[in-house]
Amino acid sequence: MKSLITALVFITLVKVGFAQQELLSFDEHNKYIYYQVMDMPGFPADTLHNRGICFLKTVVPKVKLKQTVAAGETSISGAGKLITYTGIGIMRHECGEITYLFNIEIKDQKYRYWLTGFTFTPYKRDRYDNQVPEPGVEIPLEAASTKLDKRDITSYLNQTGAFCKEFGDKLKLYMVNAPKKDESIKKIVTDKW
Amino acid sequence: MKKKLLLLTFIVSAFGLSLKAQDTVKTTGDAPLVLNGSVDTYFKSDFSGHGNIPTSFANENSSISIGMIDLGLKKSVGNASFVGELSFGPRSDQSIPTAGYHIQNLYVSYNLTSKFNLTAGYMSTFIGYEVISPAANFNYSTSYLFTNGPFQNAGFKATYTFSDKVSLMAGIFNDGWNVYQSVGGRVNTFGAQLMVVPVKNWTVYLNVAAGPQSGTEFDVTTNYQITSAFKLGLNYADFSAPSGTTGGFSGVAIYPQIAVSKAVTLGLRGEIFSTKTGTWATTAGPAPGDKVSGITFTANVKAGPFTFIPEIRFDNNSAKTMFTDGGGAATSSASQFVLAAVYAF
Repeated sequence: MKSLITALVFITLVKVGFAQQELLSFDEHNKYIYYQVMDMPGFPADTLHNRGICFLKTVVPKVKLKQTVAAGETSISGAGKLITYTGIGIMRHECGEITYLFNIEIKDQKYRYWLTGFTFTPYKRDRYDNQVPEPGVEIPLEAASTKLDKRDITSYLNQTGAFCKEFGDKLKLYMVNAPKKDESIKKIVTDKW
Repeated sequence: MKKKLLLLTFIVSAFGLSLKAQDTVKTTGDAPLVLNGSVDTYFKSDFSGHGNIPTSFANENSSISIGMIDLGLKKSVGNASFVGELSFGPRSDQSIPTAGYHIQNLYVSYNLTSKFNLTAGYMSTFIGYEVISPAANFNYSTSYLFTNGPFQNAGFKATYTFSDKVSLMAGIFNDGWNVYQSVGGRVNTFGAQLMVVPVKNWTVYLNVAAGPQSGTEFDVTTNYQITSAFKLGLNYADFSAPSGTTGGFSGVAIYPQIAVSKAVTLGLRGEIFSTKTGTWATTAGPAPGDKVSGITFTANVKAGPFTFIPEIRFDNNSAKTMFTDGGGAATSSASQFVLAAVYAF
C-alpha cells in the first residue's frame, strides 16, 4: 500500500511540475523564444524541406509561407496564432489569442526551428455571447506584466510553451515519417464470385 | 486512514491532470460544450431621493439590488454551432418580452463556407452600441438610444465575409422587436448590417431594421482603438415610427475610454437624445418634440473575475417634463450614483 501511495504522489508531483515548467527562453533581443536544433542523420535537406512544407500545410494551412533557398540551406517562415483558454472543465472557454512567428531552417541531416514574437490579444464577450478579439489590443508577452495579472501571464506562458512543444513534436513526426499516400479503398464487387 | 490518504492522492492526481489539460492547446477538433456567464449586483442613489432617470436597468433607488444571473451554453461541431443564453433577475425581466422564458440568445448557426454563415433563432439585436449583458457593457446604466432601440430580434440572417475588412449581413426577422414569436403572424422586418474596417483597429457598423409593425431604425455604431490605451466609440441612430403613427427619435452618443493602469479604465458617455414631433411616445425619454442630454462618468476596476463599476451620471431636460427634485417639483436635471459589481466567468 505504501508503495502504491508513494507512486501516486510521485506521479502527481511530476504532472503538476510539468504544468509549471517553463518551456520558453529569451533570445538576444529579450524576446520569448522556443528554439530547438534537431539532428536527422541520413535525411537529405530536400527531403526534410518537403516534409516541413507538408507539416505546415497540414497544421497551419491558412498561413502564407515564405521560403528562401541558399546554398545547402533552406528556410521556411510564417506567422500563426493559438487560442488561449481559462477555466477548467465545462467552464473552460477561450480568453484570448497569441500570434507568433515561426522559422524552420533546414540543412543536410539536421534542421532547427524557433517560434517567437508572441503577442497576446484578449477576447471579450460580444452581444451574441461569443468570445471575440478586442481590436487594437496587442500585448507582447515580454511586456505583459504592465497590462495583465501575474497569474494570467503565467497561464499564457504555460499554454504558449505547451503549444510550442506540441508544434515541435508534430514537426518531428512529419520529418521522421514520409507522408502517407492516399490508399485507394478496396471495394468488393458483388456481381463476381 | 490509508483509504483517506489514497482518496486524497487520487483527487490531487486528478487535479494535476486537469492542470496539464489547461496547458494543452488544441489545434484541431471540435470545441467542447462551454458554460459561461455573469452575475451582477449594484447600489444606486439618485440625488433627488427617488428614481428619476428612466433608462433601462439599475432602477431601484437607495437599495442594494441585484441585476441578473446570466448563463450561456454553447457548442460547436464542425460547421454547426448553437448558443443558448439564459438569464434570471430584475435586469433579465426588464430585457425580455415574456416572463418565464428567460432567454437572451437562442440560435443555431451553420458555416456553409469559411466566408458564408447562416443563423436562425432569437438573437441579441445587431443595432446599437450598448448591450444587455453587464459583462459586455462598459457603463452600468444605459443610454436612451439603447433603451428605446431593439433588444433582440428573432429571425433568420445570412452573413458573408468578403475579407477581414468587409462583411455584410442581411436577414428577415419577426414583425415586432423583442418577441419570441411574431405579433401579427408576419415575418416582415428587414435587417441588414454592413461592417467595414476603414483603417486598422477602427470598426464601423452601418445598420438598418425596417418593418411596418416595428418602424425603421438606421444606426451607425463605431469603435476606434486609437492607441493601446485609448478607445473612442460612437453611436448614432434615427428611428421613424411604424405605420399608423408619426414621429420617432434620433440621438447620438459618444464613448471615450482610457486605460490608466492594467486594472483601471476610465470612460465617459455623452448623449443627446431627441424625440420627434408626432404621435409616437416613449416612457423612457422626453415628450414628443423634446430632448434630453446626459453625461456619465464611469470607471471599470478589474480584480480577477470581478469588475467594479463606480459611475456618476447627470441628465438634463430643459423642458422640465422628465425629472422631479427632492420635493417633487419639476426640474431640469437629474443625477445619480451607481456602484456595481459584475462577476464574469
